[in-house]
Amino acid sequence: MNERPGKAQIGELSPDAYRGLVDRLPVTMRPALNQQLSQWSLLFPFEQNRVASFMKGIETFSPSGLGAVTAPLWALEKKMGVKNWNFSEANDTIENASQLARSEYYSEWRREVQKVFDTVNAAAQSPAPTPAERTRLILLILPRNLPVSPQSVWRQWDPRGHEIKISGDSERLCELALQGQPDLATLAAQQGGVESSDLWLIDAEAKLRSMISNVSPIAASSLGYAALKQFRDRFLAELNQAPKDIQATDEIIAKLRLESWDGWGLWPEEIANQPRLRKFVIDLFLSGNGALIFSNAFVEWAVAEALRRARPRTIVARFGMRSKPKPFTSIAIFENQQRVSSLPDVDDPENSAVDAVILARYAWLAASRYPEQQQTLCICVSEHCDSAYAILPAGKSLDWSPQHPIASEELYRWLMAQILS
Amino acid sequence: MDPSRRNLLKAASILLVEHLANSRKFAFAGEPASASGRDERKVIIVACGGIRRAETFLDTGLENIPHLYHDLLPRSVFYPLIRNAGVTSHYNTISSILTGNWQRLDDWGKTPPANPTFFEYLRKRMGLSQDAAWVISSNKALTSRIGASSIRDFGPRYGANVIFPKQLLINAVIQAASQGHPEHSADRAAMRQELEAILQHADNYEGLGWSVSGNESFLDLRMQSSMQQAIEELVRTNAPVTGDEFTLLVSEEVMRRFAPSLLAITFSDVEVAHFGSYSMHLAGIRTMDRLVYELWNLVQELPDYRGRTTLFVLPEFGRDFDGSNTNGFFNHRSNNDSTNLTWLMCLGEAARSADVIERPIQHIDLCPTIAGMFGIEDLDLPGKRLPGLST
Repeated sequence: MNERPGKAQIGELSPDAYRGLVDRLPVTMRPALNQQLSQWSLLFPFEQNRVASFMKGIETFSPSGLGAVTAPLWALEKKMGVKNWNFSEANDTIENASQLARSEYYSEWRREVQKVFDTVNAAAQSPAPTPAERTRLILLILPRNLPVSPQSVWRQWDPRGHEIKISGDSERLCELALQGQPDLATLAAQQGGVESSDLWLIDAEAKLRSMISNVSPIAASSLGYAALKQFRDRFLAELNQAPKDIQATDEIIAKLRLESWDGWGLWPEEIANQPRLRKFVIDLFLSGNGALIFSNAFVEWAVAEALRRARPRTIVARFGMRSKPKPFTSIAIFENQQRVSSLPDVDDPENSAVDAVILARYAWLAASRYPEQQQTLCICVSEHCDSAYAILPAGKSLDWSPQHPIASEELYRWLMAQILS
Repeated sequence: MDPSRRNLLKAASILLVEHLANSRKFAFAGEPASASGRDERKVIIVACGGIRRAETFLDTGLENIPHLYHDLLPRSVFYPLIRNAGVTSHYNTISSILTGNWQRLDDWGKTPPANPTFFEYLRKRMGLSQDAAWVISSNKALTSRIGASSIRDFGPRYGANVIFPKQLLINAVIQAASQGHPEHSADRAAMRQELEAILQHADNYEGLGWSVSGNESFLDLRMQSSMQQAIEELVRTNAPVTGDEFTLLVSEEVMRRFAPSLLAITFSDVEVAHFGSYSMHLAGIRTMDRLVYELWNLVQELPDYRGRTTLFVLPEFGRDFDGSNTNGFFNHRSNNDSTNLTWLMCLGEAARSADVIERPIQHIDLCPTIAGMFGIEDLDLPGKRLPGLST
């Protein structure tokens, strides 16, 4: 669903009322929607609005009208033999995904599903003009201990951007953004933000959380790979019990989703009282992509998922160092390396830098899939190189020549001005 | 690679093959052999996981494949465009290559291929013994069912031996940790105990997921002194061990001892990409590049293989493009050229005239091509024989 729901057009959100609407849809569209409805209170506002907008779209169709829109997908499901599958309508499962992906009609199915979503979402659109968006920010930090190559660090970035030389200590920029006057939380509050899902701090280590002021006007959604260590270790141990079997893995994943993790006392303080964020972490770890294994993969995937699910106004993400693989443990990379080897961890700065450079770019690419990217300012800072790469919102330009170095303080002031403009 | 690490892996691979050979003396004691049970022609397929063209045979990737590009390409028939039009998962792709039909099976290998593999076609038609057909795989997404189809007239009695050397290492690491002695993973000498224990106690190799006929399972004591020597050398170093390294060493030992006519090797170090480490993914590509070159050199050395072997090397598929909604290089799910389109290199007897064939081909073309090399022309397969080869 690529639409942009406006909060104003959505009335009272009522998941129970939506369940009947979901049943009017083709079978393969139901699991994702039913899963969201069953976890309604744990959805971010953006997700709730998106579902509500879609449901509003369905309601605009008469039964025969919706039948006409969905008829090709119903017909395709018949050809695919969906009714003979072990297909869960309640949840997205690996088994569901596997059955769909190995169908010879898979590509056609994806196209048809997208068509239905597009048609329904178009029907839901309000004719009222959308108010002008304020500038959003993605600030990505490659810390000083990652020796990225100054020659190639920005080579593959979006050519619309500009390389910026930073004079002096580039580490100051992140500090100023989180501790300056004003800081990002204050700015978010000034712009009317009261929702913690509007401001995300995502960290490979434990720096960002310590930088943000305790008296910030809005609570941030703060996730730190290092802070989650105890929880991660326990979660990985549970997950690795899954046998090599799709059905059994689905059962274990379902069990992990429902597990009462709160009782274990393993959540870091900043998450402990935020059920929605705790659920986000569990979903993140269950969706793979290395989030349980490598800190930089955690940062990238958390950014991508936060963008997809919460569409925040501001994200600050800081990459970090990983350890070198140890003898023998590199062949069992999915295991807890500290558990399977007693050798001490040894930093791997060069390869951590290689990972962080591409994953920082992926964070921007994830953002660029959504319409909000038009209003997004993305700055990636390499502290090691004392340089940054800035991609500006449509119609904006730098106030200075990028050939000339700029101090962190000036860059911070410019950045704040962009957000306020 | 440092010599002591190599020695450990080599000793372990010899141990492993010795172990298999001993058990197979019993397994094949009553098997009726064909006239020779062998064929002089040899075909080796190396499938090396999901690798994008961008990290290999495009300008951006040539530095990762010095051996493939500089040493092997000039003597190969090279196909820069091979399309995986099937399901881009490991089990489905490997079984599609082996059967010449696009397979749409359980991704985790719960069911055997739905069409006969070329192992079965060739073993049945030519009376080849089971020693003549092997799958040696690093990839834990495969299962032993990959070696033979579910077709009644073919099936396991004509299938291949299937072994997963990397799984032996993984099991040893996990066993050490689960038994509360993670120091074994740090102490290379101690890993020997873990490896030996698994080989000795895995009934019919079940714990490793292997499919090799025979139930005998004992360690050849003659190998212990050479293992001990190799381990003593290894403990002086601290280098990581890769699964593909071990897979190749076991493959080499199988080639020396059994000289199979049909050998499929699958590498999977590159699949660390699923966990999001691009640097380790690139390291996996470089390892694959070096191992393929070593394999090619071994083919030139061994009398059973020299001058009669065709070697195919190909990625199973690419990986998703940067910016895809499937998280780019992490996965191989998107329906896009970055994922579906890759390359194939053919070396050796069938590639007597080096060439680059730009006409697009498909993974399912390999099966009829290999069958044709053995004189079997009448198979009803959807793929076409590869152009440009001397068969």
